[in-house]
Amino acid sequence: MTDTLAPALVRSAPPGKPRRRAPGNVRCIVKHAVLILCALVMLYPILWMIVSSLRPEDVIFRDPSLILRDLETGNYAEGWGAFADPFSHYLINSTIVVAGAIIGNLVACSMAAYAFARLEFSGKRLWFGIMLVTIMLPVHVIIVPQYVLFSQFGWVNTFLPLILPKFLATDAFFVFLMVQFIRGIPRELDEAARIDGAGHPRIFAQIILPLMVPALATTAIFTFIWTWNDFFSQLIYLTDPDMYTVPLALRAFVDTQAGTNWGATLAMSVVSLLPVFLLFLFGQRFLLRGIATTGGK
Amino acid sequence: MSATTELRALRGRGVTGKPENKAAFLFLLPWFLGLFVITLGPMAASLFLSFTDYNLLQPARFSGLDNFTRVLGDERLHQSLKVTFTYVLVSVPLQLALALGLALLLDRGLRGLAFYRSAFYLPSLIGGSVAIAVLWRTVFGADGLFNQGLALIGIDGPGWISEPGTALGTLIVLNVWTFGSPMVIFLAGLRQIPRMYYEAASVDGASRSRQFRSVTLPLLTPIIFFNLVLQIIHAFQSFTQAFVVSSGTGGPADSTLFYSLYLYQRGFGAFDMGYASALAWLLLLIIGAFTAINFWASKYWVFYDD
Amino acid sequence: MQRRLILRGAGASAAALTAGSSLTACGTGGGGEMELSDEPVELRLTWWGSDTRAELTEQAIAAFEAEHANITVKGEFKDWSGYWDALATTTAADDSPDVLQMDEQYLASYGSRGALLDLGTAGEFLSTDGIEPSVLETGRLDGVQYAMPIGVAVLSCVVNQDLFDQYGVSLPDGNTWTWDDYAALAASLTEASGGAINGSGLSGSDNGSIRYWSRLHGGELFGEDSKVVLDPQTLAAQWEYWLDMIASGACESAAQMVEGMNAGIGGDGMSTGKIAMGFLFNTQITAMREASGANMQLVKMPGSGEVDANYFKPSMYWSVSSQSEHPAEAALFVDFLVNSTAAADIIGTERGIPSNTAALEHITADLAESDRLAVEYMNSVTPGPPAVVTPKGGSELEPILRRNAQQVYFGEAEPLAAAESFVEELQGEIDAAK
Repeated sequence: MTDTLAPALVRSAPPGKPRRRAPGNVRCIVKHAVLILCALVMLYPILWMIVSSLRPEDVIFRDPSLILRDLETGNYAEGWGAFADPFSHYLINSTIVVAGAIIGNLVACSMAAYAFARLEFSGKRLWFGIMLVTIMLPVHVIIVPQYVLFSQFGWVNTFLPLILPKFLATDAFFVFLMVQFIRGIPRELDEAARIDGAGHPRIFAQIILPLMVPALATTAIFTFIWTWNDFFSQLIYLTDPDMYTVPLALRAFVDTQAGTNWGATLAMSVVSLLPVFLLFLFGQRFLLRGIATTGGK
Repeated sequence: MSATTELRALRGRGVTGKPENKAAFLFLLPWFLGLFVITLGPMAASLFLSFTDYNLLQPARFSGLDNFTRVLGDERLHQSLKVTFTYVLVSVPLQLALALGLALLLDRGLRGLAFYRSAFYLPSLIGGSVAIAVLWRTVFGADGLFNQGLALIGIDGPGWISEPGTALGTLIVLNVWTFGSPMVIFLAGLRQIPRMYYEAASVDGASRSRQFRSVTLPLLTPIIFFNLVLQIIHAFQSFTQAFVVSSGTGGPADSTLFYSLYLYQRGFGAFDMGYASALAWLLLLIIGAFTAINFWASKYWVFYDD
Repeated sequence: MQRRLILRGAGASAAALTAGSSLTACGTGGGGEMELSDEPVELRLTWWGSDTRAELTEQAIAAFEAEHANITVKGEFKDWSGYWDALATTTAADDSPDVLQMDEQYLASYGSRGALLDLGTAGEFLSTDGIEPSVLETGRLDGVQYAMPIGVAVLSCVVNQDLFDQYGVSLPDGNTWTWDDYAALAASLTEASGGAINGSGLSGSDNGSIRYWSRLHGGELFGEDSKVVLDPQTLAAQWEYWLDMIASGACESAAQMVEGMNAGIGGDGMSTGKIAMGFLFNTQITAMREASGANMQLVKMPGSGEVDANYFKPSMYWSVSSQSEHPAEAALFVDFLVNSTAAADIIGTERGIPSNTAALEHITADLAESDRLAVEYMNSVTPGPPAVVTPKGGSELEPILRRNAQQVYFGEAEPLAAAESFVEELQGEIDAAK
């Protein structure tokens, strides 16, 4: 059971009472109208991008409409084969980095978050403060010393600098996110388990983790998107074009001095957006699995 | 009896156990490793560099507090502070309000929710990709979509994206437009609220708006708080969107010169990494102060169930 | 226990940073004896530019590898801004690629900080004979050749002949026209189109145009000893000229200029047919023709009939990193790229009109039309004295100029005050870098 109807809503519109249903329907239609209007405004630029990727190069900047006059699929072929490796190569590289980052963040951040949210230990507030501070320093001044460090590890031009830190919970953002979620889970549940003799590893794995699926899904989705779009660290650490990821390849189209092939750039932007969109469409179902569906007694 | 008091009554008393140092250490082990091996070293290095004159290509030279005294007379820095504060104070509340509103609308009980959620999230997916530059020009350029709309009602709009007076506004709209991330977190948070509280409340005969005020809102406060803290931090550090839209210039005439963008221009454009490091630590202090105030204030409005 | 760990981590990282940097400062590519190795050697080559450039460069690499069995070259391409971020970071960590594409504005910033190899020490492998001395000079700092000019470009007036024809305006005579003629012509184009287009783009916020203007008035941007010698009065006069152009509608508005500049070639007013005349380097006509689909032509700069104010600007250079472990092979590779006809056949004019005269002659017969226009234009220009290379610390020249010019064009600053502040800020950056 993945989709639930709120009992409250069901109750407010009991079946068999047409008079009370009518205003409900009106409200429903209004809601949909508002949402569709919002969606249109929100999506226009993206629809424009998709339509423009199917336009000849010299029309792109002259036409902000969504009407497609001449269909030009050449941008896709051109973009796909623009570099030494086909674009699929960059998609695969990005997928490897993203998959590693997601696993790392899920494992390491949830463990750290459990400790911060549920365990009492000395210096807890201090450590939590330090964790927050690590989010606050802009990346641009960290990157040079960090590059020195990773190049001494011999990690430059591998995916390690992009993946391994995630297994060490360096994305403190997600630790904080999960802490907030765990603190929302009623304590009675772990207490009951503890009375049954469960230790922390079991409480964590069997009680907390299943209950924080929405937070885990959020983490996975965000990690995916941020890593998929991350430009700066991938630029610095990946030097060999065979290791390039999607953002690097996309940016390499752009040359304001000698002219950019915008048709191909937009076409490949659409291609790179597709996996993210599909993942979200699929993954958002897991956001719905809260206590409401798994543990509501 | 309000649902909140009942809710409090439902809460456990909490374990008043002794410190669980060993277990905590094990759970925190990866984080400690990351902190000490990967995070703190470079942070300390940048702190050290903030007291030096460092051009990236030659060894750093110790320069005492020079970088910090320079801050006082740096007019571009003051401009960037003005831009950044405006951006934070305007875009964060707007973005969070929109995200919360839509998350409530999209929580449950409507057909086609999956579609709407994905549609509203789509803008956030393109994030800082190069395509953003093109999209925003198409919408807010002199011949852009927005002006074509205005022309229908007889208004001749300016080139929003390239007028110093309005350029920052278009970036604020861009940030609000990508409200998907906080929305998703709100959605997840709404799902986390135990059904039993609603049931208890409706047994009490609480109306829907009453349920919202006494169950949904209090139980969502930790998530609202999280989003507020994080969005403020992110907005202060905002870089990519301004970088992509203004081709890294922060223009026209410094009107979109975000703090991080200025810091980046000093560090990498002008080979002035010592000063850039000082600016970074200054930003950390600013963000830290805002976060501390947030945490302090949270005692008065954030409700934890533990 | 934990506190000690923090300190150790910090210390290690800071030590690494200084160590890396000091290596940069003193390691000039392995010292005096430079010779080719018989062992397998791997070189890293890095450049900025688009997909077309990547493809041609990969072909040139393959041709070089075919000639030298023991050398393999790894190409690394980046976009313009990412390129400089990555280059600065890798150089700081003593991990720079061997062969670098270099730009005039960054040459001194890298060269005089010890990051580039003195190519004079590699003369055995890298010949400079095929390049005109005045062009070669542009890669030299304080008598040291840090960079090999790859190609040259020269500032030109680009006109969209289609628009001239459409509105019944005839092309100017580039040999005699003045800035007043330019303004009148631009105004008549705007008028003839009924305001549908603007006659001219808005200039005066890039280093090419202010250098040209100041040389036209007997000045120069940089002088000896890293001094900014530009007279603020001259720059203010240039900005006032453009303010009048904006006011009369002869040129595009400041907002349109900013929009076009951010869009680059392809999205700017020239490419989209909204302006009929503008200033670009002659080699950019190929990209401009392709992006606009219009019949673009090159005309001499206004005022060039009176003073030879134009100059050859190296479009880019090849440099060898001082951190390279294989300076001899790197120099050999640069020699191949710049001097060989094999490379010229492949690269053509993609990196500018070849600086090597023999290579240029070799490809002249097969040039495409737009390249032919660019070469003919260059041959028609009599350059004045070479422009002084942007000194160390001047890499912020364009941003400072752009910002001050925009403040003037948007009416936020007075021309003279902004011109003075431009000179002062730029000099400040340069002095700070000493």
